[in-house]
Amino acid sequence: MSVLAPILALLLLAWCVAVLDAWMTTGRFRPLAPLTATLALVAGESLVPRKPDRLFFETAPILLLLAAVLAAAALPIAPHLVITDLATSALFVNAALAYVLVALLMAGWGPDGAYAMIGGWRFLGQTIAYSMLIVMPITAVAMRAQSLLTTDIVRSQAGLWNVLYQPLGFALFFVAAMAVSFLPPFDLPTASGELAGGVEAEYTGARRAIFRLGRTILIVSLATATTVFYLGGWLGPWLPPWLWSALKTLAVAAAMLAAGHAVPRLREAHLLAWAWKAGIPLAMLNIFLVGVLLLVIP
Amino acid sequence: MSALQLAFVTFFGLAAVWFALVVFRTSSMMRSALALLFSQTALGALFLALQAEFLGVLQIMMMATEMSIMAIFMVMFMMDPGGLGQMDMTHQKRLSIVAGVVAAAVVAVVAVLTPWGAPATSIPNPSEQLQGLGRELLGRSMLVFETAGITILTAMVAATAVAMPALQRRRER
Amino acid sequence: MSIGLLLALLTAAALFGIGLYGALSQTNLVMIMMGVELILGGALLNLVAFWRFLHPGSYPGQMFVLIVMTVMAVEMAVGFGVAIARFRARGSVEMEAARELQG
Repeated sequence: MSVLAPILALLLLAWCVAVLDAWMTTGRFRPLAPLTATLALVAGESLVPRKPDRLFFETAPILLLLAAVLAAAALPIAPHLVITDLATSALFVNAALAYVLVALLMAGWGPDGAYAMIGGWRFLGQTIAYSMLIVMPITAVAMRAQSLLTTDIVRSQAGLWNVLYQPLGFALFFVAAMAVSFLPPFDLPTASGELAGGVEAEYTGARRAIFRLGRTILIVSLATATTVFYLGGWLGPWLPPWLWSALKTLAVAAAMLAAGHAVPRLREAHLLAWAWKAGIPLAMLNIFLVGVLLLVIP
Repeated sequence: MSALQLAFVTFFGLAAVWFALVVFRTSSMMRSALALLFSQTALGALFLALQAEFLGVLQIMMMATEMSIMAIFMVMFMMDPGGLGQMDMTHQKRLSIVAGVVAAAVVAVVAVLTPWGAPATSIPNPSEQLQGLGRELLGRSMLVFETAGITILTAMVAATAVAMPALQRRRER
Repeated sequence: MSIGLLLALLTAAALFGIGLYGALSQTNLVMIMMGVELILGGALLNLVAFWRFLHPGSYPGQMFVLIVMTVMAVEMAVGFGVAIARFRARGSVEMEAARELQG
């Protein structure tokens, strides 16, 4: 019971995010679309490239799904609705997200195709850009909570949510979260116009269904992480805690999906330049400001 | 140590050694790099099984990114990244096998024959470890930590400076 | 004498041996560095095993592990910087062809 409920909640949130994404992109609200799309993919023909690196080709979508689920496993939806409650949960989320990189590298190398490979290696450059930007705001959040337990981090926001206490950190974490889940404008690995789908292109049939599911659960994990670290998790006045969590997560996911629609894709050189020359000094400034606030305010 | 912990230690230890062997047995460079990645991940999982939670999570996190960077350097610098050419790129093979086996044997013999004493029974729980490590970092070992930080910064600047193209070519661009 | 300590130390010995074999037998700089990473991994495992089984209350043990992890990262960074410079100058990072760098 204690593992089943969070996993069902995760799948339900992934379903809602998929419907939301389709609604934003096509303008049509079709609540059964995930089911029909999955059935269509699984029943469709499954093409394998001519000389793939079989091991990587098969493992990549599964590893992506696993990384996303592990990242979500350390995040609480309600006070006792968390799959694992490690003492270093906030860092564990980051460790699980690092395997998204490994999965995409495998997906890039496996099919032995040019577009996939370029997409995969571009994601490595993107990772070098966003890794610091995703860890340093977590450091500032943990400073306020004086613990790496995600439940402690939520409880520390009982007075004031972190989005108001550390707005700079929130902005950086939001941008870095979009970069981890390769949402536009950071969709270098699956650049739809330029790379014809990139790492996702060579996957068909059931493997593509798993890849898409992994990617959607990754978006849900990152939205949950933003909610837990910055928007107060399950805290809120009248509704039950899990409903608050779900609403906040869906709001963050909708914001992440909508934020990049009007922004052109960022070139990798520019992404690295912005992240390292502007992002990291801002992240350090955020840590400094949070430290000063913690010492000054009793 | 409980039986479950012992089983995990054995499993992850064997996984780490097996992946380390695959690193040098396979001819595909990408598989070699990712096998090293999974060997280090197994090592991190071993740390988790040995109840050093922070160190385990840190190892797993750092090694994923570090070994992926090693993978791209392999693809950049090596002649046959796919391993389809079956080249043998080793030298002094017998010497190195002998050196490896002798070194492992000496370390193993020292490990087995030394009287280590009774194993400790009470391990601090992960939250206490985290707090203790934090206090240690910012208390007694602060000088070590600061020096390590400055060393990392110096190494970053030095590596970037060494890797940039020569000044003349940069001005021409 | 704990079984867990023995298993961990033997695993570390095996990793050290494999890493030494790799560092000595490979001709390419990147593969040599992979061997060195395995040697350092074996050392890390030894440190954690000693911390866990002999002195669990003593945090300088964990501090040492952090320093070794730092050394791994720094050595990789500088090593790859040198590899890039060598590749630019010569077109390959094969150490057999690098006799002029000796001594």
